[in-house]
Amino acid sequence: MKRRRSGILRTTTRSSELRVPGSARLRARAAWALVALALATACARTPAEEFFQLAPESAAHRAAQTRTFETANETELLSASAAVLQDLGFQVVESVREVGFLRAAKERSAREYGQEIWRWVIFALSTAGLVGGSNTLLLLPVDLQQQINASLVARPLDSAGTRHEVRVLFYRIVWKSDGQSGDQTIAPGEQKMGMIRDPAIYQLFFSKLSKAVFLEAHKI
Amino acid sequence: MRSACSVRRLFLLLAACIGVAACATPPEPPSDLLAPSAEQAALREMQTRSFDVSDKNQAMRGVIAALQDLGFIIERANEPLGLVTAARFAEPRDQDVVGVTVTVRPQGEDKMVIRANAIYNNEPITDPKVYQNFFATLERSLFVGRN
Repeated sequence: MKRRRSGILRTTTRSSELRVPGSARLRARAAWALVALALATACARTPAEEFFQLAPESAAHRAAQTRTFETANETELLSASAAVLQDLGFQVVESVREVGFLRAAKERSAREYGQEIWRWVIFALSTAGLVGGSNTLLLLPVDLQQQINASLVARPLDSAGTRHEVRVLFYRIVWKSDGQSGDQTIAPGEQKMGMIRDPAIYQLFFSKLSKAVFLEAHKI
Repeated sequence: MRSACSVRRLFLLLAACIGVAACATPPEPPSDLLAPSAEQAALREMQTRSFDVSDKNQAMRGVIAALQDLGFIIERANEPLGLVTAARFAEPRDQDVVGVTVTVRPQGEDKMVIRANAIYNNEPITDPKVYQNFFATLERSLFVGRN
């Protein structure tokens, strides 16, 4: 059977045909892959070893979170701390007397007027087309609900146990509402965590504790 | 026409294969699934340290104080078991969580063996520097309080 030959005349030389025509596309793809890899490693997270080293601000945090009491009665101190937390609306979740540990939590609305107002302002501006392009509706998610947690530890400061210190840490978890960005809806329930660093809250706690045990709370 | 028929036949064959495979019994897990590997032995070495502390309670309080200094939130503590669990948010990206479980167990008369299992977003941390840093902070906390 006679084979049909191609009608195109061979005009290129053998050596130029050795380079496969699709390789240019392949090289471009490889180049993009390298760029993506470089970007991925550039966005790498903080190395874990830093979290196990004392940071420069840890001394300041310790000072804000700790008070000492001239008492040998650690159980009484712990019990009074639980009472103060209860007074502040917390539910004690966990307690271990032998190591002086208490953990408590409370839930509360996290809605703030400022955020709500800003959400409506951005929404109005986006409908007018002044923010985020002409056809995109922007609804910023606002904070809805929060859980405030307290983690408290009481321990003796000397071997005789005549002085004790109480260290408490407040932190919160916030759940956000839904939102919209153009025609993409943002689902509600996004969580945001943060340490509470406002010194007024710690001062309030320790002043209440000081009154509860009839002792002065000394700063360290 | 002929090629369409053969494609359909191929598709049916493939579907049949998948069906048979789905009804087959799942493969048995290997018998050494829970056996310690060489990496696990190396990890245990990194995570364990022995300290000259005779009192378990004192050692546990030292661990808790060290973790608090490092900015960790103490989640759970169990004195009879010598167990402390703590976590912290990996600032600035607050969605990342660094967790650690520390166990304190007596070794002989006057020593305590302390082991710290650290995880970063549910994956175990295998960097030895992490554990060195932790034990350095712990050592300070244990022996500064001893006066």
